[in-house]
Amino acid sequence: MVSRLETRLKPDLMDAEGTKIRQKAADYFNLRIRDIRVIRVLTIDANLDEHQLYRLQHDIFTNPVTDLSSFSPLANDFDWLIWVGFRPGVRDTAGSTAVEAIEDLLKIRFKEGESVYTSKLYEIQGDLSEQQAALIANEILANDIIQQWRVIPKKDWDTGQGIGLIVPKVILDHTPRMNTIAISSDKELKSISEERSLALQEMDIPTIRHYFLREDILAERKKYGLQLPTDVELEYISQARSDHCNHNTFRGLFRYHDRSTGQKETVDNLFKTCIESPTLQIKEHKDWVISVLWDNAGVARFDENHYYCITGETHNSPSNMEAYGGAITGIVGIYRDPMGTGKGSRLILGMYGYCVGQRDYHGELKPRLHPRRLLDGVIEGVKDGGNKSGIPTPYGLVLFDDGYMGKCLVFVTSMGIMPAMVNNESSHKKVTKPGDLIIMSGGRVGKDGIHGVTAASETYTEHTPAGHVQIGDPYTQKKMHDFLLEARDQGLIAYITDNGGGGLSSSIGESARFSNGCRVDLDKVPLKYEGLDQWEIWVSESQERMTIGIKPEHLDRFMALSAKHAVESTVIGEYTDSGYLRLDYKGKTCALIKMDFMESDFPKWEFDAEWAPPEMRGLREPVISEPEKHGTVLKNILSRSNIGSKNWISRQYDHEVQGGSVIKPLIGRHRDIPSDAIVVRPILDSQKGIASAQALNPFYSTIDTYHMTAVTIDEAVRKVLAVGGDPDHIGGVDNFCWPTIQYDPDKNPDGKYKAAQLVRSNWALRDYCLAFGIPLLSGKDSMYIDGNLEGPFGEKRKVSGLPTLLFTVSSVIQDITRCVTMDAKFPGDLIYVLGDTKNELGGGEYYQMMGELGLHVPEVKVEDVWPIYRALHQAIQQGLISSAHAIARGGLGVHLAFTAMGGALGMDVHVKDVPCSKPLSDTRILYSESAGRFIVTIDPARKQAFEKLFKGMPAGCIGTISDSKRFRIQSKTGSWMMKEDIDELKECWKRPFGGLI
Amino acid sequence: MTGVKALVLTGYGLNCDYETDYALKLAGADSHRVHINELIQGEQTQTGPKLSQYHILVFGGGFSWADDHGAGVVLASKLKYNIGEQIERFIRDGKLIMGICNGFQSIVNLGLLPGFDQSYQERRIALAANDTGNFIDTWVRLKINNDSPCVFTKGLSHIELPVRHAEGKFTASHQDMDRLFENNQVVMQYAGDNGTPAQGHWPVNPNGSLRDVAGICDPTGRVFGLMPHPEAFNHVTNHPDWTFQKETLKREGKTLDTQEGDGIRIFRNAVEYIQEHFEQDLPKPRV
Repeated sequence: MVSRLETRLKPDLMDAEGTKIRQKAADYFNLRIRDIRVIRVLTIDANLDEHQLYRLQHDIFTNPVTDLSSFSPLANDFDWLIWVGFRPGVRDTAGSTAVEAIEDLLKIRFKEGESVYTSKLYEIQGDLSEQQAALIANEILANDIIQQWRVIPKKDWDTGQGIGLIVPKVILDHTPRMNTIAISSDKELKSISEERSLALQEMDIPTIRHYFLREDILAERKKYGLQLPTDVELEYISQARSDHCNHNTFRGLFRYHDRSTGQKETVDNLFKTCIESPTLQIKEHKDWVISVLWDNAGVARFDENHYYCITGETHNSPSNMEAYGGAITGIVGIYRDPMGTGKGSRLILGMYGYCVGQRDYHGELKPRLHPRRLLDGVIEGVKDGGNKSGIPTPYGLVLFDDGYMGKCLVFVTSMGIMPAMVNNESSHKKVTKPGDLIIMSGGRVGKDGIHGVTAASETYTEHTPAGHVQIGDPYTQKKMHDFLLEARDQGLIAYITDNGGGGLSSSIGESARFSNGCRVDLDKVPLKYEGLDQWEIWVSESQERMTIGIKPEHLDRFMALSAKHAVESTVIGEYTDSGYLRLDYKGKTCALIKMDFMESDFPKWEFDAEWAPPEMRGLREPVISEPEKHGTVLKNILSRSNIGSKNWISRQYDHEVQGGSVIKPLIGRHRDIPSDAIVVRPILDSQKGIASAQALNPFYSTIDTYHMTAVTIDEAVRKVLAVGGDPDHIGGVDNFCWPTIQYDPDKNPDGKYKAAQLVRSNWALRDYCLAFGIPLLSGKDSMYIDGNLEGPFGEKRKVSGLPTLLFTVSSVIQDITRCVTMDAKFPGDLIYVLGDTKNELGGGEYYQMMGELGLHVPEVKVEDVWPIYRALHQAIQQGLISSAHAIARGGLGVHLAFTAMGGALGMDVHVKDVPCSKPLSDTRILYSESAGRFIVTIDPARKQAFEKLFKGMPAGCIGTISDSKRFRIQSKTGSWMMKEDIDELKECWKRPFGGLI
Repeated sequence: MTGVKALVLTGYGLNCDYETDYALKLAGADSHRVHINELIQGEQTQTGPKLSQYHILVFGGGFSWADDHGAGVVLASKLKYNIGEQIERFIRDGKLIMGICNGFQSIVNLGLLPGFDQSYQERRIALAANDTGNFIDTWVRLKINNDSPCVFTKGLSHIELPVRHAEGKFTASHQDMDRLFENNQVVMQYAGDNGTPAQGHWPVNPNGSLRDVAGICDPTGRVFGLMPHPEAFNHVTNHPDWTFQKETLKREGKTLDTQEGDGIRIFRNAVEYIQEHFEQDLPKPRV
């Protein structure tokens, strides 16, 4: 029996959700709507009697203070009614929690196949055409990838039946089947691979065929009734060999050619030479580096009794399709990495980075989601994912460039903390041993994230799962997180890892390498719905799952804990030392792969990389005279999208939960200026803290990715040092996002150049990590940030994102009470600039505002800046500093304004006193983006002690803080080039996104 | 240790349990994080923790059941129909209950507040969606009603705390609102820098709460619910202006003298109340 319970707010109460939609309709499409009110719908597909329905209606789902509810249609007062519900198979968390609540209230269990589905009705009052109503449905309320919708005009409304009883249940009507695949020739395997979307790499095919034709392998397979490779096996190999899992690009061979010098060089394996090798070298000298380069996250020492872990990745493609679902899946997914690091850690924070097209883009290309809608969805996804996980999200960056309309970038970073010792053993260690049980905990498996889900072989029906885009479920994962920490503390976890890309195939495939084998019963894996093929169970990327290895004697305790936390856990197999990965389904073996096969000599990916320096590419410095309206220049820069305030985003994210917030994302007298870095106190009774910051500077890539990378690393380092981070403890995380680098004369004509950009970026990563002493605790690469967008003539145009590196830095603070913030504190304080200002405006905001790129990109000379960084750290430790701020994009003028606005105080600054090794014009001094610089303010009483520390270094006292609220800058010739009111500056800075909440 | 025992609920998406537990410990309580299922099992099977063993019960912040179907709704239903009687007995025994954020939402849905006429079963208050339609994290200034019987806020005239919620708009009928004010059950209101109520102005009143109400108690003052998070102000460095305060003190030749955040005073009031009223139950300090 199906029932439909509708609930709405009482008519005299404000409908905040409806109001927000009305605002969006006005902002996005200039549609004037009188009112929108929301009706929440629960479609209950379960056998419940009238009394039971009455109880659940009144005891749970109707708030007598605010709600009206009914099992009959409530909608009555509208011009248009829009219904939006999920497609079958899309994660409906609210539906599941409704089931839990009903079961608990009525003391019943829902039978197999019974469920509750949530959907919404929107009553719209307004003079709209059907087309306009559909626009609201399709562009604001629903995304057709995961949702279905209907638009109903008043005249067609059936007041008796309402929307009807829509049950988006998945019905596959398919008997699971294993297929074997013919491999009589490379050509045949290749064509089958294409036909079945197996995505085997062409160059891997001979190696794969060779393996399956080996006599010893054939003999072993025969014992299990196998001969030809099965689809389960080939899907597994394809997953394991994918660029995502195997990092073929970074492990590839690059033939680098510098066209200006003729220099030719072969670079074999960027990962090994530029990431692994420097990190291992640095680890030798840094005893705080505990575990790097193999686990789900890097591990570093926090204090004697605790380690912290950190990792970061991207979730670009799914977010580009379904912004909310992609982003929430991304943030919830990155939280599983520290959970699956060592024996498991407790999550302490998350960070975000969004690169999207301009929010007000009104050009002629048609991305699948307009950047505005995309950004809104991404923000909301991370909000729900972070807030509902109880993990603070205190830091993030947003960057606008229309190049990201081909594919948006969604970076997610997470940190966890764990006891240094678990069961008298360092907690970063974990192994599987023969006889250990394989357990899957958390969510169930469906057709999520499986390639070609709705491919040709299946007919699309109303019950076909929309599985290729997922919606993360922080609630299920939070329960699992709490459970696993308790299991860890009781010493029940031998091995733990998360199920992300590749699902079980990856988590079990990798964990079985320790014991050297495993046997899994695929039919024991709990499914969301029946009808999945064996290979689908094996590679499905359904979220919120961990794979855990435990000793058989711990099973009962483990399962009891799991039940207490209301988490589903299932034994699905065991680790062995057979030397084989073996998968069975209902007693029949469907995969048998030798454990060392994945380490076979697969051919390397190869790339031609061709570099021409910027001068050779025709780049030059623009010819621009000194402007006359200096104040207007500053105000314009402040209100550009990439400088302007993005406070509306940080305020939606809980950055206080866990009670350890020390330096917040927004600071200053009015708590509205972005902090350089954040600091948290993860162990509440300790005075120690963790500082973290990120940097992102892709605009410099257009000139030279080597310097882009150097500046990005330097900026992240400076931001962390500015709050009091320790120069002897700087951990790094590199997240690369790059356009396709494989040359193709038609599809990717500049592939060789992009490959050279990647090589150069990696060289800088190596050079600067070594110079600064930064071990790369973690990192990920995400290639192919290109898209083909529809143009006005029905054509498709390729749009590539800028080569992008997000660099994250972490540091440990010995005493949090020594931390400083960037806001000016008192009138009369002296303002210093530390570091040399050079003629480096190339790729910067000032030139960009003038429509120019320029040539002189900022460069980093570590030998020059490092002594300054150390001296600054000393000054902070000695309590000499009132505020410190790293100068970043926009340059000195912009960042002086931040210091002033932060303190709600004015300042008088003399350009002539800014340290410059070579003479520069006033404007260049104000807007050069030279790296290695800080703005510092101090109490004049500490002048002597402060200056002593910076003796012989470029450190200039450039002015004083005033209580006038006037931001005054005096040119080198002595005239006041600007006298701006700081409140007005702030208003300009808040203007671009001022209306957003 | 005072011997005052506190229980902080955990599980099902609740999430402020560590810091709430820490705050109670700082205030001198012997605090325990207990999973909802463990407590229900303890009450129903005689094995495991029981409410009667504790003096202070805290419903902390978080997203129980993901806040689906109204914040705190499912948690309230789960407790009401499993251990509702025991919770009521806990109140009638003169013990203390505190609901913070999601916990406040839960205890109004349980009917523990407003507790008019000694009834602890009626849903008469809602914490509805914020007027902005969105989650907000911001610090607020709270004016505290000194005439309130609330035992948690004794001796406090104002306090600054963070709020972090999407559903915090205090909503009740006009009659009930009047009654709450008449009874001095309104414990705290969102207020501006000068200490006067926000008059509904955003973001001083961050959610549109009727008459700026941020927290209320029952007529006994022993059941207290509030949207702001006192446990998140457990250390001086939690306060958004602490670096400014540090600098101010330094110039007066002083340093940050206490490390403890103001929020702990609320928990300490609770612990002291129990010490005073349950003296006979508590272990005698060894001399």
